[in-house]
Amino acid sequence: MVTPLISVNNISISYDKNEVVKNLSFQLSKGDKAVITGESGKGKSSILNALAGFVPISNGNIFFSNIELLPKYIGEIRSNIAWLPQETALHFDSVKEIIYSLFSLHKNKPDTPSKAEIHQLLNQLNISPVLLDKEIDEISGGQKQRILLAGALLLKKEVLIIDEPTSDLDEKNKKLITDFILTQKELTVIAVSHDAYWIENSSKNIAL
Amino acid sequence: MKGVTDLDYISLILGYIILIIPFYILWYYKTGLVKDAFIAFIRMTIQLLLVGFYLEFIFELNSSILNLTWVFVMTILATYTVINRSELKIKEFFLPIFIAIVLSVLIIDAYFLGIVIKLNNLFDARYLIPITGMLLGNSIKTIIIALNTYYKQLKKEKELYKWYLANGATRQEALVPFKKEALKSAFNPVIANVAIVGLISLPGMMTGQILGGSSPTVAVKYQIMLMIMVFSSSIFSVFLSIYFADKKVFDSFDNLKKIGKTK
Repeated sequence: MVTPLISVNNISISYDKNEVVKNLSFQLSKGDKAVITGESGKGKSSILNALAGFVPISNGNIFFSNIELLPKYIGEIRSNIAWLPQETALHFDSVKEIIYSLFSLHKNKPDTPSKAEIHQLLNQLNISPVLLDKEIDEISGGQKQRILLAGALLLKKEVLIIDEPTSDLDEKNKKLITDFILTQKELTVIAVSHDAYWIENSSKNIAL
Repeated sequence: MKGVTDLDYISLILGYIILIIPFYILWYYKTGLVKDAFIAFIRMTIQLLLVGFYLEFIFELNSSILNLTWVFVMTILATYTVINRSELKIKEFFLPIFIAIVLSVLIIDAYFLGIVIKLNNLFDARYLIPITGMLLGNSIKTIIIALNTYYKQLKKEKELYKWYLANGATRQEALVPFKKEALKSAFNPVIANVAIVGLISLPGMMTGQILGGSSPTVAVKYQIMLMIMVFSSSIFSVFLSIYFADKKVFDSFDNLKKIGKTK
């Protein structure tokens, strides 16, 4: 049997004795497109946070390939994922910063994309590259969301962990972005989403 | 050089009398500050008189060990003040901040007194104690502002910190924007102040030295050196406080622990 890329075994997550996730297990293989669904307060974002080591699990374990999510491996695990929270939670000064600050990091520097590569991806996400020269308050939430997404995709990591990827987009862009991400063959995606189109097109639904 | 005119007790009392006017203004507008102001001035008087007596005594003895001990006592008080005013837990923050302040003050003291002024005795009370006092007094303000900004931003922009970490940053890299903000907020006002010295404000030390009978050129030279030392020790102590505290405030997954006082 092939080792799953992500293996979540029997995990529970609690905040101050209040258990939000109980005994959850799931496995993802390379290229899977998983979506976590459920009502608010069911711990959807907590699962994403647990996967990146931001929220402690009270029992069970998490594996990326055969590396367990433990303090000594957290750096290695985090350098193999791309992480995107909800757009409104991140504040920047300029639009450029969104992309370039990712590639100023020591680990990502060798993979710095060329200008042409960045422009090509932005065009594919229906974003004019001209926006890169704007101040952050000159672009809309939906544009910021797609630029953040471009940054995450340019990192070319194996796994994309993403919270509400299409929440600020209009119908046309919602469809475009969903189709674009969910058809990246090599990329393993784990998302939290309320969007019917995204959920419908994901290959795996983890319902809470 | 002529000596300074000493103030006799009658002069001192005459000095206090001028307070009637500001106190009257505070009282007239029902600011509720009269009692606080009154207590503040009584405290200030008692503290300074005690320090005066103490310094007379310590200057007379001029024992290196006693002088160094006094420097340590001042540093402990400074550390407590910083932690209290930043609403952090004494237990966790005392050691890192104490070490940060001691190191930066001792380095600057040694440089200034040993290399710049070339004192024979580095621990000479007349130099060591007032200069350490000036360094500490100024460092405290900047450390409080810097730590407050640093932890406030880390809590407020937690998602940004996580975004860096989870996209491949080391903890040090993910903290860079927060350190930048902390340094900016603490040192912007300091730099503005350095730039206007002599034009709008005359610094207390220089004024004191001139009143004490020094020639203005000597006083100015000391003031220039002192401002450089104060600036350097403040930056050192801010940088080291954050550096040492960082070792305590993150868990093994690099998440910020709860650091505020539990009330």
